Amino acid sequence: MSSTLDHLMTGFGVALTPMNLMLAAVGSFIGTVVGMLPGLGPINGVAILMPLAFALNLPPESALILLVAVYLGCEYGGRISSILLNVPGDAAAIMTAVDGYPMARKGLGGVALSISAWSSFVGSMIAIAGLVVAAPLLASWALAFGPAEYFALMVFAFACLTGLMGDQPVKAGLAAVLGLSLATVGIDANSGVYRYTFDSVHLADGIQFVAVVIGLFSISEILLMIEQITAGNTMITQTGRNMFNLKEMAQTWWGTVRSSIVGFFVGVLPGAGATIASAMTYSMEKRLTDTEGTFGKGDIRGVAAPEAANNASAAGSFVPMLTLGVPGSGTTAVMVGALALYNITPGPALFEQRPTLVWGLIASMFIGNIMLLAMNIPMIRIFTRILSVPNWALVPGILAVSTVGVYAIHATTFDLVLMTVLGVIGYVLRKLHMPMAPLILGFVLGELIEQNLRRALSMTNGDWSILTESGISRGFWVCTVLMLTVPFIVRAVIQRRRQRAIPAAVAATPEQAG
Amino acid sequence: MADRILGLVCLILAAGMGWLGRGYVAPISYEPVGPAAFPLLLAGLMAVLGGWLAVRPQPQVDGAEPAEPLWGPASIRVLTLAAVMLAYAVLFQWLGFVIATALMTLPVGRVFGGTWRQCAVAGVALGVSFFLLFDRVFDVILPPGLLHLLG
Repeated sequence: MSSTLDHLMTGFGVALTPMNLMLAAVGSFIGTVVGMLPGLGPINGVAILMPLAFALNLPPESALILLVAVYLGCEYGGRISSILLNVPGDAAAIMTAVDGYPMARKGLGGVALSISAWSSFVGSMIAIAGLVVAAPLLASWALAFGPAEYFALMVFAFACLTGLMGDQPVKAGLAAVLGLSLATVGIDANSGVYRYTFDSVHLADGIQFVAVVIGLFSISEILLMIEQITAGNTMITQTGRNMFNLKEMAQTWWGTVRSSIVGFFVGVLPGAGATIASAMTYSMEKRLTDTEGTFGKGDIRGVAAPEAANNASAAGSFVPMLTLGVPGSGTTAVMVGALALYNITPGPALFEQRPTLVWGLIASMFIGNIMLLAMNIPMIRIFTRILSVPNWALVPGILAVSTVGVYAIHATTFDLVLMTVLGVIGYVLRKLHMPMAPLILGFVLGELIEQNLRRALSMTNGDWSILTESGISRGFWVCTVLMLTVPFIVRAVIQRRRQRAIPAAVAATPEQAG
Repeated sequence: MADRILGLVCLILAAGMGWLGRGYVAPISYEPVGPAAFPLLLAGLMAVLGGWLAVRPQPQVDGAEPAEPLWGPASIRVLTLAAVMLAYAVLFQWLGFVIATALMTLPVGRVFGGTWRQCAVAGVALGVSFFLLFDRVFDVILPPGLLHLLG
């Protein structure tokens, strides 16, 4: 434990340098703004800034600090448009709108914004403390992993994503396979064979990660935005108090702490993200505390719980990313890609080999959070004013920054065209409700999963039984099977119960049914 | 219907991947699994999942958003925007950042509800300010393009 504290102190030494402090502040501000803009979430924010961070020649520690600040800032920012416009900045902020918007309509917008900033802060802080404790333990345990265990772990990560994707498991599976297939393009590292390059020089090195991420997220998002320009939402002007009082803080305290802990664990689970964390804790709080039926009508507890959870899960998703090299969310998958640009592979060895990077990053999360709280409570009026930037100026700006980011890596027109084509494909896939997180996870893990499979099979000269030989890998295979089957069974049971309950409820109270 | 088409497209893609993947043979083999095995495994998985989707499209679950039709009233705007983006990508290097961005902002801004005048002003402002910010302040080299001719 004392060595953990020593490392953390070293980390603060890295995070507190003037440049890194400035990057954390800039990242927090940009993140809040991006998170707030409807349609844009943490993955867009990090995706757009990642190539820029690389092009600016920032050292890896600093680039990561900037990107983490953007990520955390987005989780803070998502709530602003949820509460004031009833338009969630991203999916994780949907639950915040359920009670936040009614609160704003009652003239309590300021209270909703400030309490959600506070619970975001508490959620993040609890989760970062969890990260400090859990990450080194998990990293030392993961040092025992061989290629077979890694392969099983990555299959488990995909199973989590597809199993938890709600109503579209087949599409989530297809998305993961598409991502993995994109990763096979280029020269095979083991044999030197060119795969799916179609004799193009540009594809010999594989498809550029940055072009894929910006195309699938940024470009497709702009195409989706055009369909929603008719949606007229009037912003509610703030009236009444700007700050929550002690009574409101006490009222939400335990819910915030509970949701933070749950959110952290959901974040640690590979595949499950902030969206699941906020939805889960909202329904948990509703079941535990909603005795008067006020949830959904502007209950302050319904604002605090999902905000604490989505921030906690964002910090929690760093645990598998840093210790196992398996990203816990789409956003951390993009960060693994960012590290790859610096030739850094996250995993258990990272804690031994690059302690300043890991601990500097963790320390910067503490600092970024304090900055975000300090920024979010007094500066709320400035942030809300940014919401009034018209789309005709905003969208070309986003497109220009995205293009600069992709161009900066290799300075070729090919990457820009590829980005646009992938953007159009991403748009069609998203219209068909194909989830993008498994696709990007597949793309990031593609090479790793293939190499581990091939390495494991090389050790036994092609005997597949090595994949289930150790206890760890067997544990992962069992979890994989459970993850793929349990959600189906639970869903079937719920649906059957609901089908039985609806006719009974209608028969009992016909006059209340409408 | 859209799901069935997606399933069929995946089946065709899987067939293509499988056909190309079969030919990947390492000149000298150091390992039992060659370069073809993983792509073929993926092609197989894609064929199974795509076939499933083509035969049994995803059922509509309570509370989920209904599947949107791919072709709707906004499709012309989407196509216009996609074409402008492609033109921006192709001409970015040749025209240079400032001119390409200023030109791109006109149609994109118009599609998003700006007037010609607003879009023209925004385009020039974006082009010049981002060029100065990235190229001059942040040292991210952007193509000067036609502006290069001015000296």
